[in-house]
Amino acid sequence: MAVQRTSVWKTIALYVGLTAAAIVVLFPFFWMVVTAFKEPGQAFSTELFPTGPTISNFKRVLGDFGFGRYFVNSVIVATTAAAFATLFASLAGYVFAKKQFFMRDRLFGLLLLSLMIPGMMYVVPQFAIITKLGWMNTYKAMIIPHLANVFGLFLMRQYMLTIPSELIEAAEMDGASERQVFTTIMVPLSIPIIATLFLLTFQFHWNNFLWQLIVTNVERLYTVPVGLAMFKSAHEELYTLKMAGSCISILPIAVLFFFAQRYFIEGMTMGAVKE
Amino acid sequence: MKRMTAIVCTLLLAGLVLWGCGGGGGDTSGTLTIWQTYNDEEHPVFKEMVARFEESHPGVTVEVVRLPFAGAEPKIQTALTTRTEPDIARVDVSFLPKLASKNALLALDEYVPAEYLADIFPVALQSCMYDGQLYGLPDQTNGLCLFYNREMFREAGLDPDTPPATWDELVSYGQRLTDKDEGIFGIGLTNSLWWSLPFFYTYGADLLSDDLMHCTLNTPEAIAAFQLKVDMFEEYGIEGGAWRAGGITGDVGFQNGRYAMILNGPWAVESLKRTGIDFGVGLIPAGPAGSHTNVGGNDLVVFKTSQHPELAAEFLMFVANEENQRNWALTLGQIPVNTKAMDAITSEEHPYLSTFVEQMQTAIPRPPTPFYPEIENLFIPEMQAALDGTKSVEDAINTAVGEVDKLLAGE
Repeated sequence: MAVQRTSVWKTIALYVGLTAAAIVVLFPFFWMVVTAFKEPGQAFSTELFPTGPTISNFKRVLGDFGFGRYFVNSVIVATTAAAFATLFASLAGYVFAKKQFFMRDRLFGLLLLSLMIPGMMYVVPQFAIITKLGWMNTYKAMIIPHLANVFGLFLMRQYMLTIPSELIEAAEMDGASERQVFTTIMVPLSIPIIATLFLLTFQFHWNNFLWQLIVTNVERLYTVPVGLAMFKSAHEELYTLKMAGSCISILPIAVLFFFAQRYFIEGMTMGAVKE
Repeated sequence: MKRMTAIVCTLLLAGLVLWGCGGGGGDTSGTLTIWQTYNDEEHPVFKEMVARFEESHPGVTVEVVRLPFAGAEPKIQTALTTRTEPDIARVDVSFLPKLASKNALLALDEYVPAEYLADIFPVALQSCMYDGQLYGLPDQTNGLCLFYNREMFREAGLDPDTPPATWDELVSYGQRLTDKDEGIFGIGLTNSLWWSLPFFYTYGADLLSDDLMHCTLNTPEAIAAFQLKVDMFEEYGIEGGAWRAGGITGDVGFQNGRYAMILNGPWAVESLKRTGIDFGVGLIPAGPAGSHTNVGGNDLVVFKTSQHPELAAEFLMFVANEENQRNWALTLGQIPVNTKAMDAITSEEHPYLSTFVEQMQTAIPRPPTPFYPEIENLFIPEMQAALDGTKSVEDAINTAVGEVDKLLAGE
């Protein structure tokens, strides 16, 4: 009895604590939504619910500001980039995990070294290549430079190392081709990490601001983060519009997170433990 | 369709480059590209101005690219590495000396006649000078004034038509306006060098020496000026700690009736009107050296690689001419950069704007150093330390000045 009672109290305490933490974490999102429904002049008012809620911010963001277009651009760029980056990383990860070839581990180490270079360092050389190729103002420029993802390769390799090689040998003995080994053994067993990598790269591209701004000179190619930045000028910020834009901007991530939060969490702890 | 346009754009760009190799020549037709950072209200007015320029210049196309203010500088810097910058860009006044010092800009002295320059507001024009040469024309200038809540003045028994004229008055008004138990304060101040410059200037302190090699904010005047800012918080308790991390910022506090006074620029007038609060604008309270604001704003610059330098310069002169500036000022409530257009702003019809125009007459421009952003970054933490009491004002200022001197000496 006594033991049970303490555990009940513990559970209650736990839930109270977690609820408090959840409120702290969710409040900014709540405030974002509330502000999005306020009149421009009321952006800073502290009332919890706006007295006269308005949808004019959403109308303006989608109408005058063409956020629909930015949204479509972001979806195209983030989905394509995440899909291909994940595909390449899983192919390369498989090879680095399960195949023997000359200088394999040194090559892998060399690739890992490139992770030490801050991403900003690549901006200028990559931009120079893009202009030489004449890719300015194209989706290509927004997507292709980020498809080779060493972090993704690392993630895939580490995960695939934990898949027993015996499985592959058995499949090969049964006459499976290289392609079949990959598609019927490696991919199904790596689904958690593939999903994780897809989500992480999607999120990265969804939030990417500077690169997409640098390679586009036409508003119809701007993405959501660039569009959001438009609400801030030298001295003022159109907060209600910005919050309406932010509400739209978090939709895909929120939906993805809702259905795949398991993989987001795994992405955080993955690599923390190595078997 | 999208791809077609993209191809056309690329070809156009390539065409421009090839044309450039051919020698350009007579500058009466062609395409000018402009990267600009106008806000939501300014953008349509600017587009209309561009349309009128095109109308008066047959054969000329002006391609306007709108950039978010926050990303414009890195984008320009990246574009410069591959010579893909536009003909014209709109840049913050602090960015112009940096671009000029890197030899990216075209000197406009031979393109803009002296009699034209005579009409340009001197304080704004000065932001376009670097090393004795003209590297742009202003398209917007601004400074700070004192905003005060008339309703709160009334409640405290103060005259809502007379804002404090001196810092001493501001302190005594502030003491009457402050109600600490209610979380209401006389004033809310921002901590940065730029936002502190009115304090320094009204005490007669300068940011840099004339040769731009030394920081001169360690004079007794400068220290007294910053001491006043610190005292407002610590000694008199009339400042609400708006500068603190997580504090209620000046804008927010002013709109919610927590701060009775703030310093702000003309850009705040329209959005404050929308909130419906009863406010007035007065001059920066005078110190021993009078009432002075600092200067911000934007300039239009022409890049060295432009194939149409004359046309580009002509466009700059078009934007800053009397007619356009009058239209700009009256439509958007901003300070015109052309002195002839300033007459249109009367205190009867434009009570807020006319105060700003008056304040700008004694404004002190920033020294044309390419290091302004770095100087700002060196000052902010030291000023913060002085404000929160971890360092004495003298100590903090001397440390910052020492660091800035090292920076200016190229160490």
